Amino acid sequence: MSYADFRLETVAETIPNPFRRVVRFVFEWIPIAIVAGLWELASGTAVSSEILPPPSAVFAVSWELLVSGRILPHLQVSLYRIGVGLGLSIVVGVALGVGMARVKPIENFFEVFLALIYPVPKAALVPLAILWLGIGTETAILIVFLACLLPIVLNSYNAARNVDRNLIWSARMMGMPAWKLPIKIVVPATIPSILTGIRQAIPIAFIALVSAELIASNRGVGFEILRHGQIGNYTSMFAVLVVISGTAFVAVRGYEWLERRVVTWT
Amino acid sequence: MDVTRTVGLDRNDVIAAAKSIYSLVLLLLLWEFVAQYDMVHSYFLPPLSDVLATFYELTASGTMLEHAYLTFRRAMAGLLLACLLGIVVGVLAARNRIMGWFWDPVIEVGYPVPVIALVPVFMFWFGTGDLPKIMLVVVGCFWPVAINARNATREVDENLVWSARMMGTSDRRLLRRVVVPAAAPGIISGVQIALPIALIVTFVFEMVAGGGGLGHLEIQGVRSFESAQVYASLIAIMIVGFTLDRGLRYLRGRLLAWT
Repeated sequence: MSYADFRLETVAETIPNPFRRVVRFVFEWIPIAIVAGLWELASGTAVSSEILPPPSAVFAVSWELLVSGRILPHLQVSLYRIGVGLGLSIVVGVALGVGMARVKPIENFFEVFLALIYPVPKAALVPLAILWLGIGTETAILIVFLACLLPIVLNSYNAARNVDRNLIWSARMMGMPAWKLPIKIVVPATIPSILTGIRQAIPIAFIALVSAELIASNRGVGFEILRHGQIGNYTSMFAVLVVISGTAFVAVRGYEWLERRVVTWT
Repeated sequence: MDVTRTVGLDRNDVIAAAKSIYSLVLLLLLWEFVAQYDMVHSYFLPPLSDVLATFYELTASGTMLEHAYLTFRRAMAGLLLACLLGIVVGVLAARNRIMGWFWDPVIEVGYPVPVIALVPVFMFWFGTGDLPKIMLVVVGCFWPVAINARNATREVDENLVWSARMMGTSDRRLLRRVVVPAAAPGIISGVQIALPIALIVTFVFEMVAGGGGLGHLEIQGVRSFESAQVYASLIAIMIVGFTLDRGLRYLRGRLLAWT
């Protein structure tokens, strides 16, 4: 509950019910309008509109980029890279996290590697990925994969560590063979934490993707931003930035919505 | 690997470390072996000994330290400024109705922007020197610090505030002596989240725009086909990241010693 709500409640009583949500929405988003308005005013007066294109122009161009479909091939490439990288890191991360939590030798083997890459900003691995894979999709996928791996491993590791012992004992008592335990008990009990890990990984995936595309790519959204900047087309540069931010926002929100819909048992 | 854990070593840790480090030693031996016998082209994987020699050479000649210092200066200056701004905004947004009304949606919209995509924008605005890098670090680190400071301040036990009020604490003193200390664990968690962002922004900016720094040194290695230099700078990056992470944890332990 934000503070705005409290003040609104008193006003809201005089407004017919169907409009209350609209009014509340408008009231809560006025600050954004203020910021955008200041920006619009500043551009062209305080700073040249070359340097800071007005938001109206930027949004018009972003809309045009989307409708004309000029950004879509790049968006598609970027989403493919995120999808594959994140998908791989979920598969590997959950297997690694659960494995490390339940089997001591696996933990002993992998822990040191995780501890080593933990403090390294994954974007710093882009040059290394260029050495191995060249410039393009594989490099971006590798960076997204590495960047998303840690939050997923850590979350599934901690959750698999703390699985309710009673669940495991009950299953054992009812005659479940030991090899079935991870799939039937541990992973299902860990799913809420795994989903949290994925939620943390999505914004990280976007940061990793854009870094990789800025440094080592000739397609994709990050590359588009750099290209427009280099040829001096700043309104388009901001417009692509709006598109990628919007995509990241929709991805996080969509995921949260889906999570609430799917994970109904917690 | 819990971010809240403080530094500390005892005998059990040492034994556990020895037990868990064998895989790394194996991998490094394998690396040296494979590379020495040319099973992988040295462009992809130069022998470990070469990498270490290059690392030593660069460090001894002072080049590495110079670049490391540039990176460190940019990342830390940006992070410090972002903490200052973020904590002030976050705490005020939680304690003040109008600040909260204004900042809530702004944070909502600003936080998910992949700030790293602003690199070309900042290059265009401020050039390729220190200023754009520090500014972008500030922009990137502000959001996590502000959000965590706001949430932590909102969750401060109201009884503490009421008690202090009742005992006649003034508003300003209340913030400094009661609210901020009570919210400190959450605020510091925000700083810990911001640290890797500061490093990522600095490295990527250095790679794209140049102007010295470890990221620049690393990408230079790729461009001049000196893979040993790439690996050597990566070792330096690892050391910088590790040191800062540990330093922050140590600081956390010191600052929150009273909890």
